[in-house]
Amino acid sequence: MNWWRTLSRQETTNSRVVAVLALTILTLLVTIFLPPVADSELAGGAAIAIVILGLSWLTGWSGQISLGNSGFMAVGAYAAGIWAHHHASTPLIFTLVLALVAGGLSGLVIAIPSTRLRGPYLAGMTLAFSAAVTPLAQNFTSVTGGEGGIFLNSLVTPKWFEHLFHGANASINANAQWTADLAVVVAGVMFFFMANLFHSRAGRSMRLVRDNDVAAELMGVHLARTRTMAFVVSAAFAGVGGALYSLLEASVRPETFPLTLSITLLTLMVLGGIGTLSGAVIGGIIFSFSANLVAHVNSLTGVNPTSNLGANMQGIIFGVLLIVTMIFAPRGIVSLSSPLRRLWRARRPLSVTQEVQ
Amino acid sequence: MTAFLSSSFMHNIFGGLATGVIYSLVALSLVIIWQSTHVLNFAQGAMAMLATYIGMTEIDRGIGYWWCVIISVVVGMALGGLTERVLIRPLYGKPEINPIVVMVGFLGVLEALAAAIWTSTTRNITEPFSQIYYQDHGHLVFLSAFIVFQILLAIGIMLLVAALFRFTKLGLQLRASALAPEVSRLLGIRVGRMLTIGWMLSAGVGAVAAVIVASGNFGLFPTDMDGIFVAGFIAAAVGGLESPIGAVAGGLLIGLAEQFILAYWSPNVAPLGGIIILVLALMIRPQGLFSKSVNRRV
Amino acid sequence: MIKVDDLSVNYGAVRALREVSFDAPTGQITAVLGANGAGKTTLLRTISGLVKPRNGDVHLDETNLIGMATENIARLGVGHVPEGRGVIEELTVEENLRLGALSAKVNLAEGLSEQYERFPVLGERRRRHCSTLSGGERQMLAMARALIARPRVLLLDEPSLGLAPQVTAQLMRTIRELCENEDLTVLLVEQNAKSALRIAHRAVVLHLGSVVANGDAQSVAADDDLRRYYLGVVVS
Repeated sequence: MNWWRTLSRQETTNSRVVAVLALTILTLLVTIFLPPVADSELAGGAAIAIVILGLSWLTGWSGQISLGNSGFMAVGAYAAGIWAHHHASTPLIFTLVLALVAGGLSGLVIAIPSTRLRGPYLAGMTLAFSAAVTPLAQNFTSVTGGEGGIFLNSLVTPKWFEHLFHGANASINANAQWTADLAVVVAGVMFFFMANLFHSRAGRSMRLVRDNDVAAELMGVHLARTRTMAFVVSAAFAGVGGALYSLLEASVRPETFPLTLSITLLTLMVLGGIGTLSGAVIGGIIFSFSANLVAHVNSLTGVNPTSNLGANMQGIIFGVLLIVTMIFAPRGIVSLSSPLRRLWRARRPLSVTQEVQ
Repeated sequence: MTAFLSSSFMHNIFGGLATGVIYSLVALSLVIIWQSTHVLNFAQGAMAMLATYIGMTEIDRGIGYWWCVIISVVVGMALGGLTERVLIRPLYGKPEINPIVVMVGFLGVLEALAAAIWTSTTRNITEPFSQIYYQDHGHLVFLSAFIVFQILLAIGIMLLVAALFRFTKLGLQLRASALAPEVSRLLGIRVGRMLTIGWMLSAGVGAVAAVIVASGNFGLFPTDMDGIFVAGFIAAAVGGLESPIGAVAGGLLIGLAEQFILAYWSPNVAPLGGIIILVLALMIRPQGLFSKSVNRRV
Repeated sequence: MIKVDDLSVNYGAVRALREVSFDAPTGQITAVLGANGAGKTTLLRTISGLVKPRNGDVHLDETNLIGMATENIARLGVGHVPEGRGVIEELTVEENLRLGALSAKVNLAEGLSEQYERFPVLGERRRRHCSTLSGGERQMLAMARALIARPRVLLLDEPSLGLAPQVTAQLMRTIRELCENEDLTVLLVEQNAKSALRIAHRAVVLHLGSVVANGDAQSVAADDDLRRYYLGVVVS
């Protein structure tokens, strides 16, 4: 199993390329077999996985807890949305890069005050940011379209792809498949970047700063710069994820990015495992299934989905999940089972460890 | 004099104070919990909201305003104590991030629960004091009996909290339990009980804040306390988590800042009021404006 | 009297204490000696309830302390001055002392004046924050804080650590006086074996968690073979 272990460790660029490529192709194959509904859920999950990845980088690797990623998602989404609204024919790549840059810039702005803060203060600062996003989006109507938001043209399926589908719902199926595949590919690219970051010098400095900032400083690592960089990268990823998510939804609205989304992201990251690529994948998968999960719980407990309780089930479930996970399995659900645990150790995941005084 | 008091400038001052008071109370609750446990309750706003909702339900049964307040505070305290024993105690000794994350999850649960049980609409209760603004010679002063009551209440609670921590035996034990739990136990102090008491007191004060919001013109909506909690948090951070006076001052400051931004700059930017204050405060004094110790980076 | 019976403590796979048994007679000073890592601090922490043993009992007269909560053990009259003294820096000298008196239900004013008389330096510094105190002053504060509760047992973990020789000598004299005047049972953990043995009545030597010697202080002090264990060096 040596080749598997090498793949898991992703220590060389080659093995990283192979690993991410393999995962991407595998997922693409899966999309073929899934019904259109599942495909679009998967697509959403892929977008969220990108955001979780960024959050993992920030929290797992640089030890800075952030509740602000829903805010960064919003920045990226609105940047992409506003641009796409006025320049509908821009290629997707450009829009996504724009979202990346916008997200990164907002990360920089937030990082400046934030990197001086630790622990609860930092959490509070990022909380303030993401809590302000929805009201701001609602207020600046002229720019953001206010409550109604901005409508985006759905991602257009190229003709050659459509021709691969036959049958009554050919174009719908083709569209669902195309968007899912697109999302998976984008996710694959982002995962590849992150895999490189994990093993780069930057990644090592961040881990150093996280574990022992005094020692890090002595070794010549610039604390503020390292922490700021972590924020910027995390926000950039969130921006891309947010833009992708909005493109999939074909609209950007203030309600898409509430504070509870930040909580959901945190939950998914913790469930999957902080600081790992696989964790983000698991988180994304769970997100894809969350609608189904909620419906399942509703039917199990006999709750009417349209009632108040039913409508809020998701919030309750995710909140409870986060609490239970933090108390019983803070390293993510993977750590609960033995064989997976051995694989886990092979990857040497890094969890947040701020020592209690 | 009257002309001055009813000038638009004073309108804004009074308006800012009115919202600032609520932030101050939340900030006070955070100071209490920090001083007694060194943990920050991120679900404070949501817990206060839930307690108030329960209190408000009782009002439907025809009890008076003050009973509603008492019930809300008591429920809040019970909720606080329960939360400490069930959710926070198991995390003792683990990384300090864990309780933060758990409380954030709890926040989500509480808000969803409140929306589920009581529907996502605003609820409010009729206030005991007149909300009608004072009038003098036909000029309107943006101050009502209710606002004056709130301000006095906040100052009163602040003095009580400060006295508690400075002068009483309980206060000393609470502080010691947070600063040095092991040593305190060696001295015979029931640290576990102190933690629970700290959470209860903090939640009680938080509930008062939510009750005031519910009594106001806009009532209380399940997610309202989010923004208020954030402002209260920033107020406590700016004022220094060790200082009740700082907390109250911070709260009033943020209330005023928001009001003035709204009036003189742009209403759209108002949600950023708290953040702006925080950034300014950090630039001026990274350790908080009133606190004695520099402990922000640990 | 303190009776330690077959006490075993594990930290994960590491056996910190192995079937440790000895008696600490009432009103006497029992020195607990041994090199670093011998288990001395673990022993005190187990007696105080901060550490749960795998096996064994600790009896304070009739009461078995094992399984009791730390704060309850303290309320029984066991005063523990921990390694590093445990002075709460953010509080003042007087607040630290008040804390010591709180759970013991002693008259605060009386207790304070007694300790200030015994340690005048503390009286001078009563309103100062403890971060401003020197090592010797902190040691005095830690002792006073334990004593203000009128304990029957005193557990002292390396009180001489970081103190100058004269201060140490004075400290040891004070401990001996207290023991005799207040009829205290003292367990004195010390790296500085020489000064501890001078004032102790009995001595227990630990090595890698096991008891290698248990007898009266003079015979332990005179035994050259034993010195290897508690000094941690091979004496040639």
